Amino acid sequence: MKRRQAVVVGLVVGVTASAGVIAAAAGKAPVRPSQGPPVGPMVRADTGAGELLLVVVGGVFSSRAEAEAANETLAFGDLQGYYVVPVAQFQGFRQQVGEPSDFALVSAFRTEEGAQAFVELAATFGNTATILPERVRSLGGLYAGLGQEASPDGTGPLLGPSEESLP
Amino acid sequence: MRTGSHGRGGLRFVSIAIPIAVVLPLIVAFHWTRLGWRDGHVNYPSRPSGYTQIVNRFGQPCNAEARAISMRWTAADTGVTYSFRFHRKLGGRPTAMVSDKGGRSTNLDNDVYGHIQNAHLQPYIKHGIYGYACRAKRNSNEWSTHAFGIAVDVSSAEEYLGKCTSTINRNHASIWQGHGWYWGLAFCDPMHFQYAINY
Repeated sequence: MKRRQAVVVGLVVGVTASAGVIAAAAGKAPVRPSQGPPVGPMVRADTGAGELLLVVVGGVFSSRAEAEAANETLAFGDLQGYYVVPVAQFQGFRQQVGEPSDFALVSAFRTEEGAQAFVELAATFGNTATILPERVRSLGGLYAGLGQEASPDGTGPLLGPSEESLP
Repeated sequence: MRTGSHGRGGLRFVSIAIPIAVVLPLIVAFHWTRLGWRDGHVNYPSRPSGYTQIVNRFGQPCNAEARAISMRWTAADTGVTYSFRFHRKLGGRPTAMVSDKGGRSTNLDNDVYGHIQNAHLQPYIKHGIYGYACRAKRNSNEWSTHAFGIAVDVSSAEEYLGKCTSTINRNHASIWQGHGWYWGLAFCDPMHFQYAINY
């Protein structure tokens, strides 16, 4: 009889103690730091219509076919480099380039840091990359690489207008 | 007489030069461990599988941790030294060979790099070396593993995307693989090593 009581008491004490330890551990579980809003595995095709953007230019061409052929020859390893777009989708582009052209190899950015990082990446592969001196206004159109730059708050990519890009 | 003297001088030169030529490379070749390098194998993160696990372990693409640590690596063929960045969880921890960069593990800059030096495989690290880049995969709108700071490309000019065999990186791929890195040769990207699978 005494043995049975001892077993029951032992079980009750053991289960209670285990529950207490589990509860304490759960209470102390580290809170995962915020990683910013989930962005998903796909880069959003953001054109930044209406914003003032920095554009890195890899070349200008009179036709889309020429621009695409040139883009194919530019090595960026396994990364996406330039995008082929009509220059008319950026207000102020033609005036800064000075050459008659309808298509260009570009990558667009909202921050100086983003544009500069892309220039450095291009240089790693020996590719030409020039940041236009003045921001241009995006009129929408084709995707030109916007959103592939770090947000200044360090949480992930910059997915919306910044102070500098707002007109 | 003069000829004889020259002959003895030549013999003496040869008798000194040959041992030096044999011994010197051995001394120099093992300098990496002689200087104190050890495979630390400290605090490696577990290797994620798929996008969700990558984000859970390393954060969103282009986050500040993804580019927190930097290292330099010289291409053997051109002599160009590349500086590139990678995730804080994959290196930057102080060792005999690496200064304290605020990193959490010894993986890339001490262990992988050190093994390659120690095994005399540096001649197979050729030009075109990079790590973190906030970019999509080529001809895709998917984030590249480079955007998380968990991918490094080496010898990228010779081991280009679309080449389904390896001529250069195969010499040191096993070192990367032995430290948790997945080799992109499986998807015809032999320049590419990433600390993730199924993505």
